Amino acid sequence: MPREIYAYKCRKCGHVHYPYRMVCKNCGKNEHNEFEPVPLSKSGSLLTFTTLYSLPPDFEVPSLGLAIVALDGGITVTGQHRIDEPETGMAVRVEVEVVRRDGYDEHYGMVFYKA
Amino acid sequence: MTMRDVYVIGIGITSFTRLEFPLSEIAAYPAMMAMKDAGTREIDHLYVANMGGGRVNHQTGLASAVVDTLSLTPAGAETIENGPASGGSAVKTGYMAVASGLHDTVMVTGAERMREVNNLEATDFVATLTHPIAEHIYGVTLPSLAAMFTRLYMEKYGVTERHLAMVAVKNQNAALLNEFAHLHQRISIEGILDSPEAMTNNPYVAEPLRFFDCCPVSDGGACVILASEEVARKVGRPLVKLAGVGQATDTHAVHEREDPTDLLAVRRAAAMAFERAGLTPADVDVAELHDAFTILEIVESEECGFFPKGEGHLALERGETALGGKLPINVSGGLKGRGHPVGATGIAQAYEIVHQLRGEAGERQVKDARVGFTCNFGGFGNNVVCLTFKKED
Repeated sequence: MPREIYAYKCRKCGHVHYPYRMVCKNCGKNEHNEFEPVPLSKSGSLLTFTTLYSLPPDFEVPSLGLAIVALDGGITVTGQHRIDEPETGMAVRVEVEVVRRDGYDEHYGMVFYKA
Repeated sequence: MTMRDVYVIGIGITSFTRLEFPLSEIAAYPAMMAMKDAGTREIDHLYVANMGGGRVNHQTGLASAVVDTLSLTPAGAETIENGPASGGSAVKTGYMAVASGLHDTVMVTGAERMREVNNLEATDFVATLTHPIAEHIYGVTLPSLAAMFTRLYMEKYGVTERHLAMVAVKNQNAALLNEFAHLHQRISIEGILDSPEAMTNNPYVAEPLRFFDCCPVSDGGACVILASEEVARKVGRPLVKLAGVGQATDTHAVHEREDPTDLLAVRRAAAMAFERAGLTPADVDVAELHDAFTILEIVESEECGFFPKGEGHLALERGETALGGKLPINVSGGLKGRGHPVGATGIAQAYEIVHQLRGEAGERQVKDARVGFTCNFGGFGNNVVCLTFKKED
C-alpha cells in the first residue's frame, strides 16, 4: 500500500493546514476533529535547501540534504532532498520514504527528487 | 490597573565555558554575585531559567535546588523553560511579579550545562524544539533551519558569506574584551574566508552556514535581581530601569510562515518592548541581539527597527554596529563570542546591558550609553522576548 502524508482541511472554512493543528488557524473553529485529511501534492518547487554536515546521532551518513518545498496547490513543507545540484525554484517530485531510523523504529516522511 | 516601575538592582554572571559543577551551582554562583552587587539577601521570589536540565543533566525541579543551595527558603521559586528564550521569559516573569506589586524583590537566575554531553547530542537536544513530525524527524536542527533561511536572505537582499564572516569576526573579537566570554581566540576574514586554508579552518556546518557562523555550545549562568523603585533607591546602585518587555510567537514549523524571510515574532516583540517603555529604536545606545547564527544579528537588527528591512548588512559594512559605531551590537561578544548556554542567554544579555548602562564595562564600554535593548530568540523565531532598559539619574 502506498504511504501518504496528509494535510488537514478545515470542514468549516476549507483552510488547509500542514502540519496538523487542533484549532483552525483561519476561522478559529474550535470543535474537536473538524478537519478532513487530504493527501499532499506529489510535486512542487524548491523554495530553499541546505546540506547538513553536522548530523543528529540517529543519522549514520556523512551529510544530509534538507529542503523546504512549495507544493503545487499551495502547501509548504519541510523534508529531505536527494538532489545532486539543487537550485532554488527547481521542480521536484515527492516520495514518501523512511527518513529516520531510531532503534527499531522507522519514521516515514517526504523526500524530494529532481522532477 | 497601574503597574509599578521595575529596576535592576544586582547582576552576576559565570564564565561561559565548560563548567565542571552541578547545574544548580551554575545557577547559584551568579545569584551570589548579584546579591553581593545589590548588597541584599532579602529575596521574595526566584525564577530560574533553564532549558535542558531534565534531558541533558537528569535534573528536574531546578528552582527548588537553587533556592535551597542559596539558603533562601522559604521564598517561592519556579523553573522557567521557554527554549533558548527561557532567560528572557524569566526576566519578563520577574518584571510582572514586581510591576504587579506581588513581590518587591525578585531574583532571576539562569543556567545551562550543555557540555555534559558531546556537541552532536547538544545540537540534537536543542533540535527537540522543532516540530516533531513536520521537522524533527527529517534530521532538522537549528543550524539547518538557519541555513535555509540564510539562503533565502542572500537571494533576496544580497547578503553574502562575507557579511556573515564580518559578524563572526566583529563579535568573536569583541569577546576578547569580555573576561567571562567563552571564545578568546582572535579571528580574521582572511583566516575564515579568504585564505587557502579557510575551508579547513571554517568548513560548512549547514551550507551556506560555516563553523564560525554558529555560536559555541557553552555552560554558564547569569543573574539579575529586579526590585521596586523603593527597594532600588534604598540599595543605592546606579538606577537602571527595566523599562519595557515584549514577547510574541510565530508558527511552530518554520515552513508555514507567509514570507519565509520575515521574523515576525522579533518585529512584534521589539515593537511591544519599545511601546511599553515609551522609547523608539532611535533612542537605543547599545543592543544585545541573539546571534546564535551570524545571519540572525543582521536580520534582528532590521526587525527590531534599527535599520530598514534588507539593509542590516549595509549598516554592518559601514561599521555602525561595531564598538564606536552608531549602534554597537553585541559588544559582549554576543552568543557567538560570549557563548550560548541556552537558558542563561537572555539573562546574560540583560547583565551586559545593565553593566553598560551603569558605565562599568571597562574597555568595551559604549560611551554615554543610557538606553539598552535585548532580543532573546527562541525556537527558530517562534518565541521571542525583547527587553528595553533605561538609565535614570
